[in-house]
Amino acid sequence: MRADLDLETIVSELYSPLYRFAFALTRNETQAADLTQETFLILTRQQAQVRDVTKIKSWLFTTLRREFLRGLRSQSSHPEVELKPEHQDQLVSDSAVSQAIDAGTVLEVLAKIEESYRMVLELFYLADLSYKEIAVTLDIPIGTVMSRLSRGKEQLRTLLAKTEPPTKTFPHPR
Amino acid sequence: MNSDAAKEVLSAYRSEDRDGADPIFREALSQLENDAELKKWFEEETNLDRSVRQKLAGIEPPADLQAKILARIRGEKVRRSVFALPPAWLAVAACLVLGGLALFYSTNRGGSDRFQEFKTDALAMVSVQGGPQLDLETPDLNETQTFLREHKAPYYEALPSRLKSMETAGCRAFVWKDYPASLTCFLLPDGQFLHLVVINKAALDNADIPAGMKAMGDWHVMFQQKNGMLLMWASQAPMDQLKQLFVVSTGGVRGIANAQEKPSQHARTVSDEAVFSIEQ
Repeated sequence: MRADLDLETIVSELYSPLYRFAFALTRNETQAADLTQETFLILTRQQAQVRDVTKIKSWLFTTLRREFLRGLRSQSSHPEVELKPEHQDQLVSDSAVSQAIDAGTVLEVLAKIEESYRMVLELFYLADLSYKEIAVTLDIPIGTVMSRLSRGKEQLRTLLAKTEPPTKTFPHPR
Repeated sequence: MNSDAAKEVLSAYRSEDRDGADPIFREALSQLENDAELKKWFEEETNLDRSVRQKLAGIEPPADLQAKILARIRGEKVRRSVFALPPAWLAVAACLVLGGLALFYSTNRGGSDRFQEFKTDALAMVSVQGGPQLDLETPDLNETQTFLREHKAPYYEALPSRLKSMETAGCRAFVWKDYPASLTCFLLPDGQFLHLVVINKAALDNADIPAGMKAMGDWHVMFQQKNGMLLMWASQAPMDQLKQLFVVSTGGVRGIANAQEKPSQHARTVSDEAVFSIEQ
């Protein structure tokens, strides 16, 4: 039988990466904090449905992403909203970007990367998920995760090279 | 595994402690020994990952986020634990509450019917299954007071210091017999609630209010009079725990907002009673 979840320990270990992931999605501190709180609240309400405790991390990031998309859809007059970089830019509020400049720069670069690659990269860097966890979170095959990570990093490296001074570029010998 | 395949696999590699035991990474990593170009690529890849992670670590969550999450979770767990009781236990619990109410009512005929009615209604409100309905859910006491002020509901500011530093589950503004009233729910450290109901004393026909803390079924209830207001405290927490919250209070009254909205204008100069004494 599944042991009861130790919610306080889970919060303690995962609220920071969840918030970072939420911030990458919303680019807004308040919305990111609300989204993080809501995600843990959903876990509290639905913990009986979480049968595999080892997948709790993937479950949380999946839930947060789903809640973000649900919020986007409810805000829009259109039933479906495609997460393109242009749309992400619209979500940036004047007061939101009070984070460190370096983090902001990386997020801006990430926002320019093609959506399918960007999601994998954000889960890899912000959520620190393994390739298997990313596959579960996005419901895609493991091989697809690896190829998207590889190509996504290639795009990231190229964009960072254009953004940063030459001494901080990341040459790609491939 | 050729070099390109190894690069694709190693793109997903995080660190030795997290991924080192994974056979797919072990195989790709073993190729680094014999492939200088692959090894150089991997060093660059590792540098990129390290740099990006360090920069993104600059996104710090708000300092109070963890506390807010834990407060909301505790509140949710308390509500759910009550709601999740099997029907038979709910029936027993209801009988205990109603039995307690009846006992208390029968032994306190000195007060007015109006006061008894208020007491019964207020306790019924806070003891509802799943916890009382709240208009605002927030761990921040200041936010509850702002909300109540904006909704012209009475609230009490000069709380005992230990309560001021405590998180709330939220608040509710409501009307009882045409008088505005409020409910504020504090979250005690053990996850239980301490409820505070505030109403203009004129709503109770200025009845004599019993002092000290009383047991009503599973509940501990205490009344206070402050500046023409009646404060009703109710909790299922142990009496000793509640004593700790109240006995240290010695501060003066700083004010009660929205105290006399309707219908009479009660003077704010009514002196406080010695309300923090505890009776068993």
